Amino acid sequence: MDYTKQIQEIATRLFAEDKIDVFVGYRLTGFDDNQVPALIRESKDVPLLVFNQKSVFNLSNYLKNDHTRNKRVGLVVKGCDSRSLNLLLTESQVKREKLYVVGIACEGVVDDAGQKMQNCLECMVPAAVVYDELLGEANMERRFIINADIQDMAAKELVQRREYFEEVFENCIRCNACRHSCPLCYCAKCCIDQETATLYNGANTTSSAFHALMTWSLHLAGRCVDCRNCEKACPSHLPLHLFHKWNERVIYENFQEHLAGVHEGDRGAFYKYSMQDPDDFIM
Amino acid sequence: METVTNQLVSIEKPEIVAPPDWQPVIIGILCNWCSYAGSDLTGTSRLQYPPNIRIIRVPCSSRVDTWFLIKSLQTTADGVLVSGCHPGDCHYISGNYFARRRFLVTKKLLNFVGFHENRIQFSWVSAAEGPKFAKVVSKVTEDIKKLGPLHLYKKENFEK
Amino acid sequence: MSVETIVTDKAGLQKFYEAIIAKNETYAPVEKFGKYDFKLVKNLSECDPESPIAKTMSAKPLFFPRSAKIMKYVATSAGTDVSETDEDPLAGKRVIVGMKHCDARALQVLDKVYNWDFIDTDYQKRRLNTVVISTRCDKAETHCFCTSLDYDVENLDAMDVLIVNGNDGKVYIKSKSEKGIEFLNSGVTSHTSRVTEEAAGEELKKQYTAFSASFRLKMDYKSINEKLSKIFDTPEFENVSSNCVSCNTCAFVCPTCHCFKISDEKVKDTGVRYKSYDSCNNGYFTLMAGGHNPRPAKYRRWRQRAMHKFVYYKERFGENLCVGCGKCTTSCPVNISIFEVINQVSK
Repeated sequence: MDYTKQIQEIATRLFAEDKIDVFVGYRLTGFDDNQVPALIRESKDVPLLVFNQKSVFNLSNYLKNDHTRNKRVGLVVKGCDSRSLNLLLTESQVKREKLYVVGIACEGVVDDAGQKMQNCLECMVPAAVVYDELLGEANMERRFIINADIQDMAAKELVQRREYFEEVFENCIRCNACRHSCPLCYCAKCCIDQETATLYNGANTTSSAFHALMTWSLHLAGRCVDCRNCEKACPSHLPLHLFHKWNERVIYENFQEHLAGVHEGDRGAFYKYSMQDPDDFIM
Repeated sequence: METVTNQLVSIEKPEIVAPPDWQPVIIGILCNWCSYAGSDLTGTSRLQYPPNIRIIRVPCSSRVDTWFLIKSLQTTADGVLVSGCHPGDCHYISGNYFARRRFLVTKKLLNFVGFHENRIQFSWVSAAEGPKFAKVVSKVTEDIKKLGPLHLYKKENFEK
Repeated sequence: MSVETIVTDKAGLQKFYEAIIAKNETYAPVEKFGKYDFKLVKNLSECDPESPIAKTMSAKPLFFPRSAKIMKYVATSAGTDVSETDEDPLAGKRVIVGMKHCDARALQVLDKVYNWDFIDTDYQKRRLNTVVISTRCDKAETHCFCTSLDYDVENLDAMDVLIVNGNDGKVYIKSKSEKGIEFLNSGVTSHTSRVTEEAAGEELKKQYTAFSASFRLKMDYKSINEKLSKIFDTPEFENVSSNCVSCNTCAFVCPTCHCFKISDEKVKDTGVRYKSYDSCNNGYFTLMAGGHNPRPAKYRRWRQRAMHKFVYYKERFGENLCVGCGKCTTSCPVNISIFEVINQVSK
């Protein structure tokens, strides 16, 4: 999967036709094969752009950024990125007419060790769902696969799960990098940053980490697209996907196979309801 | 492990033993239009229900943010009961449908990270269902008495 | 002050660690979720003193905790009772093993600010009661650039005990301070093969030469300091910060960042006040009551971070607030390298 040439051509064309002010893509770090997101503002920088299986970061995160606000933006999106973009469009965070979206029919990205990422192995929507131009063949139809970690974890006893997650919350350092790197966390003032004494606080205690991570994952339930930006950002390498994948599974199984951001105009699972929703857990 | 003891331990943390006179604290979050009126009816009908519940009145069951539940469990509560109008009866037409989705996900997520599923319970109680409310509270109290005290992620001032 | 050097081998080093852990309150890197963090250990098997820099959190939280209780209060009808918090869990006598030179150097840099206009007594107490054992790296990692900064890595005296894995297969354990000498004589080592400064010196030098040759990143910090101080208004800051996602990870893993915020955890009438880490990359960092924010744009916050590291701290204390450990770069979700960036800006 290497679309470097096509993306460079598209970017050059867009700058030449004056359709965009900034193009958001990837470039090489310059010292290894890892990549850095690049916000290209002039056509002379276009040759820096690359795209291959190392293009991991979800670029729709940059749409909430100072550098792209109120500008016409060209954007490269993979399957998962396009789902988050779809949600941002639905939630009126970006204007479609200001975007030129280069969609990728993604074949999966790799982590630092060169292994295909777990979320790519279990990906349901590999090809971009929102695009002006699609690179690659979008023919992959897949079924819902329950995340392997989730299956292992759910099979454990209650006490074992409690022990495992206690360690997760103990190792959280409350840097909030997960939130900042999440494309769908765009609130101007996040509820877990409120300095009100009775609710949340920034203290790095297990209880406040629990409170913050639970609230965060519940706010993303039915919206998370499993791009794993949060896990990439977490300095403690916490398995944050467990919360999101668990919620995704619960929502998929109970709420009419809801999958976040797959269809245009489809809102998060908590912003709609159905008469068929399960009622048996309520007395 | 066949030894039978009368000691009640916390189901999530077996190393925590409840004091002999331990009584659970249950936070009941009730919707103003149905369940709160229902609980009122229970009282005026002179029906008995356990005094372990502390009731908070909210406008609608969909007003219940997930952090209400989380914070209750992090402070005094050993269990939470949320109650609202029956589906179709919501004063705000569809509030409880939205709430229902949120409740399921919250319950499952908290269960996933190590809370017993009976720590958070939900019920639909209408304004005419005084006896049902008494029954629900009795059942929740019974359930939570079996689970023992909750000692997970408690806020600093509640560490015992 | 007499300086002693003990010569031993790999097995002897393991025994040395075991003896330390058995006799002292010892903190060492413990692996969890693929990342090492300094934690209290009870035996050697649970920790790895040789953990790689890139995967290890700095030892800063042992001196400046991620969250420290600073007071408790109870509101009563008569007024508010403010009380001291419980005893500081980090104030006792303790030993840290598995630190690297960059980490040890960071403490030296932090001492300056903690001894400045306000003397932080908690920090001083923790420093005083801690024996720092630092291991010299054998090889530089991808993002390391400690040798390019304003401290002498070879003769660094920030630690109490220095451990060098010599190229000849031997391990040199050297005391670097009074505390270190006292510590080595406290029965943690039974080795008697002590050599003179000169004999060990040669091998240490050889090891250092090999180590310093393995650096990929090299720069001249003086010219960086000088140029950065003159280009406050350069638009280049806007370019280099454009792909930063302001996630604050860099500040939280940095061994020298020392900004904090104050927050309360209040339940009913009682509360605890915490001092916890904060980051200047955070948009709320400079937000004032009333809504004014002197650093509203991302590039300004970014510039502040770079300038504080390489200009402001240097002007005030004569040291760079960067030790070249590369932790920020390895933790960055978008692979922004502080080394690349400051070099690009000051080009």
